[in-house]
Formats: sequence, structure tokens, C-alpha cells
Amino acid sequence: MELPTLRPFFEGKPELLRDILDRYPPYGRRSALMPLMWEVQRAERHISEARLHEIADIVGVTLTEAKGVMSFYGTFHEQPIGRYHLQVCRTLSCKLAGADELYRFLVEQTGLVAGETDADGRFSLQNVECLGSCGTAPVLQVNDAFHERVTRTRCAALLAEMRADREPEPTRERGGDNVGAEKASRVDAAAITEVATEPEAAAQPEALAQPAAPADSGTLAPEKEGGAA
Amino acid sequence: MSTVAERPPAITSRFDPRFEVTLYRHVGVEGAHALDHYRSRGGYRAAEKAVTEMTPAQVVDEIKASGVRGRGGAGFPAGVKMSFMPPVDGRQRFIVCNADESEPGSFKDRYLMEDDPHQLIEGMLIAGWAIGATIGVLYVRGEYYRAYERLRDAIAEARAAGLLGRGVFAVEGDEETPPRPGFDFDIILHRGAGAYICGEETALMNSFEGLRANPRLKPPFPAQAGVYGFPTTINNVETLCSMVHIVGRGAAWFAGMGTDDSKGTKLYQLSGAVRRPGVYEQPMGATFRELIYDLGGGPSEPAKAFIPGGSSTPMLPWSEANLDLPMDYGTMARVGSMLGTGGVIVIPESQCMVDAMANVVRFYAHESCGKCTPCREGISTWLPKMYQKLLAGLGTRDDLTVMEDMVRNLRGTAFCPLADACAMPVAASFQHFRHEYEHLVDHGTPLFPPVARWTA
Repeated sequence: MELPTLRPFFEGKPELLRDILDRYPPYGRRSALMPLMWEVQRAERHISEARLHEIADIVGVTLTEAKGVMSFYGTFHEQPIGRYHLQVCRTLSCKLAGADELYRFLVEQTGLVAGETDADGRFSLQNVECLGSCGTAPVLQVNDAFHERVTRTRCAALLAEMRADREPEPTRERGGDNVGAEKASRVDAAAITEVATEPEAAAQPEALAQPAAPADSGTLAPEKEGGAA
Repeated sequence: MSTVAERPPAITSRFDPRFEVTLYRHVGVEGAHALDHYRSRGGYRAAEKAVTEMTPAQVVDEIKASGVRGRGGAGFPAGVKMSFMPPVDGRQRFIVCNADESEPGSFKDRYLMEDDPHQLIEGMLIAGWAIGATIGVLYVRGEYYRAYERLRDAIAEARAAGLLGRGVFAVEGDEETPPRPGFDFDIILHRGAGAYICGEETALMNSFEGLRANPRLKPPFPAQAGVYGFPTTINNVETLCSMVHIVGRGAAWFAGMGTDDSKGTKLYQLSGAVRRPGVYEQPMGATFRELIYDLGGGPSEPAKAFIPGGSSTPMLPWSEANLDLPMDYGTMARVGSMLGTGGVIVIPESQCMVDAMANVVRFYAHESCGKCTPCREGISTWLPKMYQKLLAGLGTRDDLTVMEDMVRNLRGTAFCPLADACAMPVAASFQHFRHEYEHLVDHGTPLFPPVARWTA
């Protein structure tokens, strides 16, 4: 339902609207659907039906068509997400680096499960599929930024930052040939940074196959040794 | 340079002294994304050479002669694909860059776009010139926001420098040189919003056009009716970047690397249980051993299998013979797998294979677009449910037979390759690790129970 008091999102933003519409050829006006959705989503952390209606009118499609497009994609949200939208990649390479535990940790810390936003709108949690950060797994995406090779310690620090309303600095991790051409072309394996992963830690079994209820939720602080982050 | 009577043996190892890191030479270098940096290292000379010294047909011939095959996973010869374009008839033509990298295990294109966006723009210029396209569409996946920002800024820089827009590389002309009109070319940068299926070329075009990203029926192929129904060629990021060097250094240089059916330099990606995961550039035909051991430092714990080219490619058991296989398209096809995107994932011994495959299946189940029945019902509904049943300890031997039947019968029945991309690795896991499935259904618990993997 439309709220009569709601000002149209693109009212008073003619340059922005023009910039988006002019990117596409005249016969491809419909291509502007997703960019317009992105603008609303970034500003309001969700796309309400009223906004979608406005976008549909701008582009010249029906609301149903616009909704069909919007609902196809996992990153457009009908309900508001938090100021810090936590997206945990859980696909194979991240799983092999502990993404299941990372997710469990976030569940414990935020009290949310995937798909939820907390009451004060700070955090929301989402499980996502492969983010293309397999070499620097596990990865946690906060809003638009990737936080790669997130250890338990780093994850706790990130949450502390966000609880203090500070946007955490994204970290760019290196590995493989991403170290720079000079080093890479020398074909010196030693020049390639050693990654601090501790395979030995994989020996002890943990009850992570069980559903969410954490058995030892008292210990939130990192207490396992090994793994110089 | 290509008129050598006696050709030296092809380069098939990164440790061959003749090999040099080419596609990734700027990746990881501070400030490499800026136009000044790129131009000061010879950037845009290849595009200038193509536009000012070569006809479009010559560029296509050069790309054909190089033998480069599509790096997005399918491995189709890129030059041949270009030659499918109909004769120039005055209609709009498009070159599309598929930057919707989302196959699990693949992460090469992200760094190319973040650290060297101008290399990609130059590649699109060259490809656009070759096929007579004046508009390039760069479709980058929504999650790659940093790459999107870098590309957006790089495109603005290139426009300001006259490298995109009207009359690129135009020559004014004097007594000796006749004037040249240059090349009218610009790029539309478009952001996706998180859908694996957009990596399928026709789904990508639908997504770009503001439609639901369901794949289209082929034929007509993109060369006949692509973006907005106009003739279109679509290539992967790495393929387009390769064209810069194919034109710049010549097809013979590129073809001097690799094996009979796979030429050139390629970005391989290594992840999973290895000591030094990451992207490594190697010539085609280098072995898995070179990637996993010599560059990746070896497995970080005992391994039992590796996925050769992204999660859709059937896994290979960890064996000396398999490690010595050259990473090329023909060899992978011969052993019943695929090279895919070259995204190698090492699976440790301690990882329950049923659990790992349930993860892979969940990915494809989540990403199925729902257009066709085999994929929607088989991949997106039945298969994940069967895995849930197994992992809950409720499976039976009959369930295993049903699952094997299902993936066999799914093969080749779906509208697009997504269903096969899921069915093939599942079939391979049954082929090589059926005993783990059997142990799970017989005992109700996995042979390898879950272990802690997260670094403190």
C-alpha cells in the first residue's frame, strides 16, 4: 500500500535519475530497473512497495514486473536490513575454512538467525553463497565491504567496532599472485606470503552438526591457541 | 616474431624461465588501478595497435590463431565465437563482458577488476573493434562492490583521456599519414544483485535488460540475437584481458604456451585445505602438482580429493597420477572432468564427503532459477532433501540408489547447464566415495564427523 505522505525517492534528484537513465540506449530503458533499485536499497536498506511502484512508473513497467525482477535477487530486501548487514559466505571453500562456526558465532553474538534484523536496526544476518573470496576464506561481507580470512578474534573485534557505531575498515588479504608483479614474476615461492592456517586444530571434533542451541555459550572470548592471525 | 622456422617447445610450466606473469602483472601493486600507472607500463598500446594498424578481421584472425579458449568455464574458442557474428549491416552490435564470477572456487576476475581495471577496458576495446561493436556492456556481480567502484572510476578516467567515447585513437593526418576517424566505443557498467545464474550468458542478458534472469532458448545464439535482440559477443573477464596481450605480443607468443588443445597463460585458483591458497598464473598444461605443491605449498592436512575447476566440475581422487595431470581442457575431458574456470579446491581427508556435497548441492539448489522442471524439482527440491535425510542419519541404501538414478536421469534434461553443473559433481562423489555414503546410511553417523576448522 502506498503511504500518502511518502515523498517519492527520486523527487528532487533529477541529476541522479538522468545519470542512471542516460546510461542505457533509448530502447533499453528497462535496464535502469536494477540501478534504480540499488539506489533505493543503499539509501533505505530495503525497497518498499511504494518505492518499487515509483521505480516501475519511471521505467514504464507494471509493479508486478518490477517485483518479479526484484524477487529474483537475494540482495534486494523487502524488509529493512540492519545498519550493519552481516553476510556470511557458506559455500564449500569457506566451509572448509570454518564458515559454519563463523555463522554459529554470529548467531551467538547477535542473537539473530539468518534472515533477521535486530530490534534497534543495528545488525542483520544473512547466509549467502560464494562471494568469490575462496582463497581468503572465510569471508564476512559487512554491507559492501569484504572482510577476508576472518578469524574468531577478528570477528569479535569487528562486532565490537560495529557495536560502537564505527564502520570497520575492510582488510585486503593477500595470497597467491596477489602480492604484486615484481614478487610474483620472480617465481620465488618463498616470496609468497605464508598463510596462517592451523590444520592441526582440525583434529578435535566439535558438536557443530547439532542445530543452533549452543552448548558452551558461556565462552565467547577466543580461547583456542594456535593460528597466529 | 612468428616466422621462426624451428619452433621451441611450448611452455607448460611456470618455472620455465621463458614464462612471465602477464595477466596478473599489475595485481597487488599499489596504485595499479590508476590510468597513469597503466599507461606508463605500455597500457592501451595494444588497443591502439588494433584500431590504427589492424582491420577487425585481422584482429579476429589473430585471436583465432592464438587458440585462446573461453576462460569463463566452457572453454569455447574465443576467436571462433567472434566469427559467428553476422556481417556488419548497420545494426547496433554489442560486446558483453561477463563479470558475474560466482562459480564456487573461482575468484580470479575479482582481483583483475579491482587492481587492473584498465586492462579489462582495453580488452573490451579490442574485442569491440574486432566485432564492430560500439557499445560494451560490463556486467559485474553485485557483491563485487570494490571492483564496481574501481571499474566506474577507471571508465571515467578513460573517457576523460579520450580512450572511450567518440573517435578513440583518431588520427588527424598530415602529408604522410592519411587521417583516420578512430573508433567510437563506450562501456555501460551494470551491477548485478547476487544470482549465480547470471553467469549463464543469456540469463545475464535478460538480467541486464531488466528482466528476470532466466536463461533464453538457444538458438538464436547471442551472435544472432543477444542484448536487446542485437548481435552480441560475450566473453569472460580473463578472456578479454588475454586479448590485450594476444594483440600486443602476437598470437604466436600466446600459442607458444600450453598443450595441443589449450593455449596460453591462465589464471588458476587454489582454495580449500592448502597452505598458500590464492590465484596463480601458469601456462596451460602445467600440472596440478605444480599448482598445489610448488606454488600452493602443498595440502595443509591429508587430502582425499580435489575439484579441478570450480564446484561444478567432477572431483578427482587425490593420487599421484591425478596430481601429475596437466591442467588443460582436453586432459580434463579425457579423465571425465572439466577444466572449468580453473578453480581448484582441495578437500581434506577429515571432511565428510556427503557433507561437502550437501554444501555444493545446496548452492545449486539456491541458485536454480526455477524456469525448468528438472532443475526446479530435481536440483532445487529433491536432491537437497535427500541430502538432509542422509545427514540426519535417516537415509537408507535405497535412497543412495534413488539419488544415483536421479542425477543420471537429470543429465542433459534441463534448460541450461546449471542442473548438469550440480548433477556431475554428485555423480563423481558417488563414483569415488560411495563408501562414505554407505557408512552414513548404515551407521547413521558420518565416517568423518564434523571438526572445528575456524581459526581462533
